[in-house]
Amino acid sequence: MASEMQNENPTILSSADLPTRLRASVSHKNSTYGSEFFAFALPSLTDGTVKFSDNSPSPSESESDDDLMEEPIDEQEIFDLISTISDPEHPISLGALAVVSLPDIAIKPSLPNVPDSPLRTVTVLITPTITHCSLATVIGLGVRVRLEQSLPPRFRVDVQIKEGTHSTADEVNKQLADKERVAAALENGTLMGVIAKMMETCQ
Amino acid sequence: MSALQTFMLVVDHDKQEARQIAERIAQDVESKKTTLVDIVQSLGSYINDDDPLLRGKAVSYLTAVIKALPPKFLTRQQVQVLTTFYCDRIEDAGAVVGIDTLQKLDRFTKDMAEEVAKALFENFSTLQSRAQSQRFQVYQLLNEMMSNHRAVLHEMGDTSLIGTVDLMTGEKDPRNLMLVFSILKVFMFEWDISNHVEFLFDSVYNYFPITFKPPPNDPYGITSQDLKDRLQDCISSTSQFAPHAIPALLDKLDSTSQNVKKDALNALIACINSYNPDTVSKYSITIWETLKFEILNAQEDFLSDLSLKALNDIAKRLSEGVTQISDQLPLAQYLRPITKECNEQLREPQQKQAKPAQQILKAASEGSPASFSLIVQVVVAPLLTLYQGADGITKQRALLETLTILFESAITVFGEWTTRTPEVLAENPLLEFKDQFSEILGQALMGTVKEEVSFRISALKGFLRLSTLRDFFHDSEIGLFVQYLNEILLKEESVGRAELKKEAIAALADISKHQPRLIMDITFPAFVATLPDFDDGTDTSYIPTLESLAQISVEKAIFETLVRRLLNKLSLLLQKGQPGSAAYPRAILLTIFYVMNQRKLEGDPGLEMYYDKIVVAMCRSAAATASGKAKNNILSDPTVLEILGRLCNLIVRSLPRSKQDEVTKNIYTLFASPDDFQPVPFAQSTSENQQRTMILSTYLLAGLPADSALPHSSPNISDLLSDIVKRSVNGSEPATQLAILRHVALLANKFLPKSDLGIATSLLESFIPLKTATTTESEPIKTIFWLSKALILRLAPSTTKILTSLLSLLSSPSPQTSTAAARGFAILLKDDDILSPTNGANIRLLANQRVFTTLIPLISSNIREINITSSSETPAPAPVCQHIKPAHLTALSGILSTISPTLVMPELPTLLPLLLQSLDLQSPDSTSQAVRAATLQTLSVIIRESGVSVIEECGHVQSLVSRLLKTAEYTPSSPSLSPNGGGEGEGKDGEHLINGPRLRVDSLRCLFLLAQTPNAENVPVVAKAGKLSPLLPVRNQVLRALRFVLDDPKRDVRKAAVDARGAWLRGVDEATEDED
Repeated sequence: MASEMQNENPTILSSADLPTRLRASVSHKNSTYGSEFFAFALPSLTDGTVKFSDNSPSPSESESDDDLMEEPIDEQEIFDLISTISDPEHPISLGALAVVSLPDIAIKPSLPNVPDSPLRTVTVLITPTITHCSLATVIGLGVRVRLEQSLPPRFRVDVQIKEGTHSTADEVNKQLADKERVAAALENGTLMGVIAKMMETCQ
Repeated sequence: MSALQTFMLVVDHDKQEARQIAERIAQDVESKKTTLVDIVQSLGSYINDDDPLLRGKAVSYLTAVIKALPPKFLTRQQVQVLTTFYCDRIEDAGAVVGIDTLQKLDRFTKDMAEEVAKALFENFSTLQSRAQSQRFQVYQLLNEMMSNHRAVLHEMGDTSLIGTVDLMTGEKDPRNLMLVFSILKVFMFEWDISNHVEFLFDSVYNYFPITFKPPPNDPYGITSQDLKDRLQDCISSTSQFAPHAIPALLDKLDSTSQNVKKDALNALIACINSYNPDTVSKYSITIWETLKFEILNAQEDFLSDLSLKALNDIAKRLSEGVTQISDQLPLAQYLRPITKECNEQLREPQQKQAKPAQQILKAASEGSPASFSLIVQVVVAPLLTLYQGADGITKQRALLETLTILFESAITVFGEWTTRTPEVLAENPLLEFKDQFSEILGQALMGTVKEEVSFRISALKGFLRLSTLRDFFHDSEIGLFVQYLNEILLKEESVGRAELKKEAIAALADISKHQPRLIMDITFPAFVATLPDFDDGTDTSYIPTLESLAQISVEKAIFETLVRRLLNKLSLLLQKGQPGSAAYPRAILLTIFYVMNQRKLEGDPGLEMYYDKIVVAMCRSAAATASGKAKNNILSDPTVLEILGRLCNLIVRSLPRSKQDEVTKNIYTLFASPDDFQPVPFAQSTSENQQRTMILSTYLLAGLPADSALPHSSPNISDLLSDIVKRSVNGSEPATQLAILRHVALLANKFLPKSDLGIATSLLESFIPLKTATTTESEPIKTIFWLSKALILRLAPSTTKILTSLLSLLSSPSPQTSTAAARGFAILLKDDDILSPTNGANIRLLANQRVFTTLIPLISSNIREINITSSSETPAPAPVCQHIKPAHLTALSGILSTISPTLVMPELPTLLPLLLQSLDLQSPDSTSQAVRAATLQTLSVIIRESGVSVIEECGHVQSLVSRLLKTAEYTPSSPSLSPNGGGEGEGKDGEHLINGPRLRVDSLRCLFLLAQTPNAENVPVVAKAGKLSPLLPVRNQVLRALRFVLDDPKRDVRKAAVDARGAWLRGVDEATEDED
C-alpha cells in the first residue's frame, strides 16, 4: 500500500524526555494521614471517619479554592494537543519525532494594541524530519485541523514550517496560510482520510 | 420377501430398521440356521446388476451382516474369501466398510492386507470420484490399516507411498484432509522417501496456506487451526523437505495478507525446531536475510515477534551440543551477519531502527550461553566505545538501554540469584566488562545533573539488572549500588514527579529479594538513623523514610526487623512526658499496618509477640490514657486509635482460637485492671476520652469469630445492644460515633443469632415513628440506617418492611429529617471496612439486588406522585414539600453509587427519567452537586455498557444531550449577588458554580461515550449501514455548544471537551454528501 518511505530511519525521542506538565502535587497536609503513599496503598483509610463526620460532604469545600483558580490555555496545552498526532509514515507521534516541539509554539494576543481583546494567535512551527519531505504539507494540515477542532473560537491558528528545515518551506507555508487552499484540501476525501488516521492516536 | 429385499428397500430411509434386519440374519448365521455361503449366494443377481446403486446396496447388506457377527466367529478361510470378494468389488458401496470390519479381526493376515492395499491403490481414480462420505471411509480404512498393519504397507515401499498420494490427490474436504495429513505424516517419518521428496512435499504443500473457514454451526468442529497444525506437522516432518519447504515459506512472506505471513512464520518455526541442526544451519543465513526486513520494518507486532522467535529458535538449535566456542561453529556463522547488521543500526541508537536491532540482539543472544557469548564478544566493546564518544545524553541513554537489554538476556541465560535451576557451567562473558559497566552506570546514576531523570533511571535499571544477575557482581559491588539508592532516597530533593525515587524504592525492594543481608546491613541502619526520637510537628521528613521502609520490607527477615525497630520507637514515644504531634506515632503505626497487611500473618512465628506488644500492651496503654493515667495523650488521638484498631483487628483475625477467646473477654476492659479503667458499656457516665476507646473495642470485636461468647451476652445480647444503640444516639465526636455505629452494626449483623433477630427489629422499630416527631437531630437517623444496614445485608425476614419504612422518612415534613435520611441511603449498601466479608460479616449475595428492586419502583412512583401534585396546584406549591423530591433523588443517587451497574440495566426505562430529573437539580449547593455526580457516574456506565441505543429506545436522546450540555457549562451562579461578599477573601472569585469542574468533566465524559460506538462488532453491518445514527439530529447542537466549552477556565474540562468534540466529529457521521 505504501509507496517508498521517504525517511526510513528517523531519530526518535524517548517519551520520558518529552515536555510534560507537572501537576502541582497535593500538599501533604491535605490528607488526614499525612502520607499520600499510605492513603493510596490503603484507600479505605481516607474515607469513613472524615467524610461521614459531618453530613455536608466536605471534600467539595476544600476543593473550591482550587476550583476557582483559572488555568489559561498555554503552550504546553497546545503541545499536548498536537504532539500525539502520528506521523503519516510511521506509527510514531509528532512529539517523539520532534516535528513539533514546545519552544516552537507561541501564543500571542492577536491585537496587541487592544489589551482587553480576548483574541489570541497560536503559532506552531513544524520541523520536518528531512528537508525534502513531501509530507510536510500534510503534517501541517493535520496540525491545523487538530487545533481548529480543539481550540475555542477566539483563537487564530498559524502553522508554518520552521525556517531552514525544509527545501520548499516558502511554498508549503503559502499553502498552509492560504485559507481557500486549506478549505479545498479539506474537501479532498483521500487527504482527509490520511489526516483522520493521523489523529486517531490523539486521546 | 427375503431379508435381503427388505433390507434393500429400507436401507435408504431407515438405518435403524436395516440394522435390525442384518442383526437378525447374523443371529441366524450364528445359530447355524443359515450360512454365509447362502447369504452370498442370495445376493445373486443383484451384485451383477448394471445399476451401481443396487450393487452397492447388496454389498452393504453383506457388510451389515458381517458387522453384526461376533469378532471371533469367522474362520480364517471365511475372512480370506470375503476379503477377496470385497477387493473384487471394491468399487461398490459398502465394500470399503466391509474390509474395514474384516481388517480389525485377528484372523486377518498380512497377505490379505496387501491384497486390500493393492485393490485400493489400483482403483484410486474410481474411489477419488466418490462422494465425500465414501472417500472418508476409504481414508479411514487406510488409516486403520496404517495402525493395524503398518509393516505390510511399509514392505510395499514406494507402491504404498505413491498409491496413497494418488488416492488423496485433489482432496478438498476438511474432514478428509485431517485424516490424509495424519496418514501422510507417517510416510514422511517412516518411509524411505528419498526418491519422492518433491512429489510428497508438493502433495501437502499444495494446501498451504489454509484458507478454510468453518461454516457457522459446523457439526464437525474442525477449525482452520486444526488443519493448519496438521499441515504444519507434515511440512516440518523431515529435514529432506528443507530445500523445498524453506524457500517456499520464505517466499510466502512477500504476501500482502498478514494471515498468510503468520502461517508461513509459524510453519517456519516448526521446521526450525524439527529439522536436524545441520539442515537448519544450511538455511540459517537465508532465513535471517529475509526475516530481517520483517523485524526492522515491522508492519505488525505479532509478525515481528514471530520472526524474533524464529531467530531465537535457530540460535537454540545451532547451539545443540556446542561445548567450545569457536569462529568455525555454524552458530558463529549464523550470528556473524546478525551482529554486523545490529552493530550498524546501533551506531545511531536513538533512531527508529535501533529498537528492532535491540530486540534482534536480545532474541539471538537468549538462545544459549554460546550464542550469548558470541554476541557479547562483538557487540559490547563497540557499544562502550560509542558511549565514551557520544556527543549527547540522549545518545548515551539509548546506549544504556541497549546494554540493559543485553543484561536482560544474560538473566534469561544465566538466571538471577534466586533462580532455582542448576547453575550454567559456561562463564558469563559480561564478566570481562564488569568494572567498566560498574563505572559507567555509577557515573550515569550519581554523576549526572539531577534534572536528567530519565537518563538516571536508565542507568538505575541497568544497574539493577546486573545486581540481580546470578554470580555476577560481588556483594561489595551490589552494596555500592544500594548505597547510591540510599543516597537518592535520603539526601536528594525529588525532581519532577519523583520518578527516580519510585524506581529506587522498587530497586531496593527487588534487591531485598535476592540479597536481603545487604538491605539489612546498609539500607536499614541508614534509614532508621534518620528517624527522629520525637516530633514537634515541624519536620515531617520521616514520612517519606517510613514510606520507603514500608515498601522495601517485603522479605521476612527485613519485615521482622522493621516491626521490632518501629515498636521500640513507638514505646519510647509513649513514655515521653511532653505532648508531641500525633502525626509521628500515627505514621509509625501506619507503616507497621502496611507491612503486616502485605504479609500473611497466619502461622507467623512472631504472631505471639505482636499480640503481646501491640494488642495487649497498646490497648492497655490506651485504656490508661483514657483514664488520664498516661504520660501523654498520644493514644487519645482518634486517628491514632483508628490505625491501632486496624492493626489489632489484623492480628486478632490471625490468632489461634485460645488467644481470640482471651481477646473476647477484654473487648471492653481493654486488658486493663478494673481499678484502672472503667469499660464503656453500662457505665453510668463516661467522659469523651473513655467513649473514644470504643474505636478499639469495635475493631477488636470485628476480628473475632462469630461464635465468640461476648461479655454481657447471657442470656442474650439484648441489653448490650440497647446500651450501645443508646450511646450511638447521644452525640459524641464523629470518629467515636462512627465506631459506635459500626459496633451496633457488627452486633446485629454478625453476632446476633438468627433466633434473636427480633431484638434488633424491635429496637429499630422503636426509632421509626420518628417521621411524626419534628426532631432535627440527625443522630437517630444514622443509627437507624446502620442498624438497617446490618439487618438488610443478612437479608433478615423483615428486609422489605425495613426498606419501606426507611423510604417513608424521606417524605417527612421536616426538611432536616428528610435530607439526613436521603443521605443515609448511601450507607446501606456501601462496602464497609469493618462490616466486611474479611471480618466475617454476614453479607448475602442477593442483598444488593433486593434493595435495588424493592426501592426503585417505590421511588419512581413517589416522584411521579410529587410531580403530579405539584403541577396540579401550580399557583401555590406547598412550600412544605419542596425538599421531598430532591430527597428522593438524593436517596436514589446514594443507592446507585453503591450498586453494580449490571443490576441497573434491566430497570433502565424506569430509571432513566429519574436520572434526567436528577440532572435538573441545577443549584450550586453541595447536595445537588453530589447527586448529579452520582447520576453522571451511573449514566456513563450505562452508556459505556450499552451505548446510545438503549437511550434511544427510551426516547430520551434529545433530553439527555441537552441536560449534559447544560451541566458542562461554566456558569458562575448569579454574579449580581456577590458584589458585597468581601468576607470570603477574593470577592471576585467568591461566587459558587452551579457546575463544579468535576461535574463538567463528568458530563463531557458522558457526551464522549455517547459518540463512541460501543461494541461496534455486535451490531450487524447491514443494520448499521442502513440506519442513521440517532445522535445525528443533535450533532450540530453539540458541536456548537462544545466549541464554547473549549474555552472553559479549567484545563481538565477543556481536555474532556476536546475529546468529546473529537468523538462527535469523528464518530457521528453526518450524511453531508446527501444533504448538500
